[in-house]
Amino acid sequence: MEPPLAAPVVDDQALIAATLAGRGEAFGELVTRYERAVYHLAVRTLHDRTEAEDATQEAFLKAYRALASFRPGAKFSTWIFTICYRGCCDRLARRKRFSGDELPDRADPAAGPELLAERSDEAARLRAAIDALPEKYRAVITLYHLQGKQYEEIATVLNLPLGTVKTHLFRAKEQLRKVLSV
Amino acid sequence: MSYHDDDLDRALAALPLEEPPAGLHARIMAATVHRPAPLVRSWEVWLVGTLVAVAAWLVWTFLTTPHAVERVLATLSSATDAVGAGSEWTMLWLAVGISAAWWLSQLSVPRTARRDIRVR
Repeated sequence: MEPPLAAPVVDDQALIAATLAGRGEAFGELVTRYERAVYHLAVRTLHDRTEAEDATQEAFLKAYRALASFRPGAKFSTWIFTICYRGCCDRLARRKRFSGDELPDRADPAAGPELLAERSDEAARLRAAIDALPEKYRAVITLYHLQGKQYEEIATVLNLPLGTVKTHLFRAKEQLRKVLSV
Repeated sequence: MSYHDDDLDRALAALPLEEPPAGLHARIMAATVHRPAPLVRSWEVWLVGTLVAVAAWLVWTFLTTPHAVERVLATLSSATDAVGAGSEWTMLWLAVGISAAWWLSQLSVPRTARRDIRVR
């Protein structure tokens, strides 16, 4: 009889192997682990909860279909974030094509200084300040939040050179500090 | 209030993630693990379609060609002669080869003998 997956903490590689061996509940565990983070990335990138929900589902579907090609030793989190981020970029590009807006560097118009002033809660203020960042900085700061200080992983997800990630992160933090210090 | 790098890192670490909608997990599972397997895959449809098209073309050609049966038989006969399948000697060697292969396939080496060979 196969051991239960819920027992001790099973690493992602074991869950992937179990999924490939036909154990659907292992993929369910992977979804449980990363669903929230992937959704968070999609919401922060797309600024639309309904579309973020679709993007999250699409990311997991793509990951499930391509699971056999997942490189052993790689991090599942980086892989699923990469799939999700690329999907979100495609959606933004489609949106841009249809609306003609300059979306990639667009800041959230709802998150102006007036609104920031109204929000007293630190978390809400920080979230609003992140939303007010240009897209390239917002993506870096969101992944910095999700993946910790692993710059290489952030660079992989965004397909950017390490130096660019560090520069974007520095500028994003600078802008955040400026906004939050008001 | 002035924000330092550490303050910002602390605030970022404390920032709660967006709460996904309640049905998202179920939707993902329904689209992946619990998705029923398709009855026919797309490559199977293509393969069957191609075979049917080739078969239809062959039947059409066969029916529209005058003396089709005779011509097919003549082609088969000349192909058999070309490879020498019609000669007695070819048939004899084929029979010998098939018999030898069948006889060898029936042989079984005893387990102990195999172990002896490995030890040696």
